[in-house]
Amino acid sequence: MCFFQASTDLFAEEIVVAVQKNSVPTTPIKRYVMSTIFAMGMTTWPDGSSIRVFVLADNNPTHSNFCKQVLNVFPHQLRAAWDRLVFSGTGQSPIVVSSENEMRERLAATPGAIGYLPKETVNDSVAILPVE
Amino acid sequence: MKVDFSIRNLPQIKTLLPLLGMCFALLSFQVTAFELFNSVQIHGFATQGLFSTTRNNIFGDSSDGISPDFTELGINGSWVPLPKLRLSMQIISRRAGDANDGTPMIDFGLLDYSFFDKEDYRIGVRLGRVRLPYGLYNDTRDVAFTRPSILLPQSIYFERTRDLTLSGDGGMIYGQYRHPWGTLTLEMITGFPRTDNSETRSAVLSTSDANGNLQADLSFIGRLNYELDNGRIRFAITGARVQTHYTPLNSFDPLPRGTDVFSPVIFSAQYKGEKLSLTSEYSLRPINKSGFGPFLDYNVVGESYYFQAAYRIFEKWEIMARYDALYNDRDDPQGLELQQKTGIPAYTQYAKDWTTGIRYDVTPWLMIRGEYHYINGTAWLPTQDNPVPPLPSKYWEMFALLVSFRF
Repeated sequence: MCFFQASTDLFAEEIVVAVQKNSVPTTPIKRYVMSTIFAMGMTTWPDGSSIRVFVLADNNPTHSNFCKQVLNVFPHQLRAAWDRLVFSGTGQSPIVVSSENEMRERLAATPGAIGYLPKETVNDSVAILPVE
Repeated sequence: MKVDFSIRNLPQIKTLLPLLGMCFALLSFQVTAFELFNSVQIHGFATQGLFSTTRNNIFGDSSDGISPDFTELGINGSWVPLPKLRLSMQIISRRAGDANDGTPMIDFGLLDYSFFDKEDYRIGVRLGRVRLPYGLYNDTRDVAFTRPSILLPQSIYFERTRDLTLSGDGGMIYGQYRHPWGTLTLEMITGFPRTDNSETRSAVLSTSDANGNLQADLSFIGRLNYELDNGRIRFAITGARVQTHYTPLNSFDPLPRGTDVFSPVIFSAQYKGEKLSLTSEYSLRPINKSGFGPFLDYNVVGESYYFQAAYRIFEKWEIMARYDALYNDRDDPQGLELQQKTGIPAYTQYAKDWTTGIRYDVTPWLMIRGEYHYINGTAWLPTQDNPVPPLPSKYWEMFALLVSFRF
């Protein structure tokens, strides 16, 4: 499968999946499920509440690292998947935030929120969701 | 506006349903706008194209000149009032030569409810006007950003019968199964395709002289799609049975009552890597016309395929090349038998299109594209831009420039 492996930068900072505390369970999630969530294919948590996905802009380096490290896709593949949903009436796209600070604030404030952050910028306001 | 809700006017009611849904959505939006902030999205796009061709026309008066008669505008809104319920609507205005005049149309207007939305699977329905799942590109064919080129491979995504394969009024069941080895999605629709376009009429009826009504009958379309890593690898099979019938206006109408059944199958394959993407689709297209009389009735199987490669040379630049072939009758691919029998030029029965193009993404929201086509044959040439006489030319070229914005 190494043929399909996205090339990751060895010196890239480690990115973790972050969620709102309390509203989202932090039991480990499988990689393909995480991938489905960020592709906007799964829209509700197991308790039936809405999943709210937050991302940084397509050309943001943290977004790019997250796509490659955690989801094993390239940003343009994810964008193509969102475009297909939005412009065919079959889904919605994630909410784009402008900075890592805004990401952390929105994740902390929004029930059902999921996003990502460089590991060293995570603080008590959000919870980390481990990926299997 | 007076609306007749009798069975005879079913199409009218069908077009009103999505509108009513959206009015309801907008009303509720005003009532609790603040709370809905996170669940409402508005997106849109604007595209302008310039076309220049040698000999034959496409999208207006393009031969030996430049035609700006190509504009695509669209806006859509979606709202998730309940976690498993979504309402979406898109309005599109398209100006393309003499075939589309820019009148805004409801492209889709639907209610989507998912009965199950689990880690491993999702099952739901869409009701209203839905986009038809047809091959790889039909779902979003009006959005330049999602196309591989300015002009989609015409062998499979005809301009001529565009409206017939675009969206339909009816119901869809969808199911998705997710696994570490990939995602399988099945979508099945039954409903009435749209026949309100004049180019579609003349393509289906093989004449633009008919004055009567072309109406859609209950049709079916289904697609099974396999995807790995959000589209790195994609395979799909599409099958459809699209039926229309023609009712003459009066006894002077040149066409009698007749039925047209179009039942294509499409096989699609795609690899999309970081830089290289390879795409191919193959289609068999049986067309059966009956009731129109011995000169217009026919039963043929058309054949279409293309091979396409694209390469991202720099982060913002992509180049592409494609060979696209269309044969109206796979038993007479060069059109020679037809020419012998009827005198219709053989080259109107096929089209072989070599395309090369370049794309520059100025920002994620703004894109510029240039493209060149060398075409042998006129099988997919829009008739409204090329009234006969004179006969179209066998060999022709096309240059196109396009700028597109989206949000």
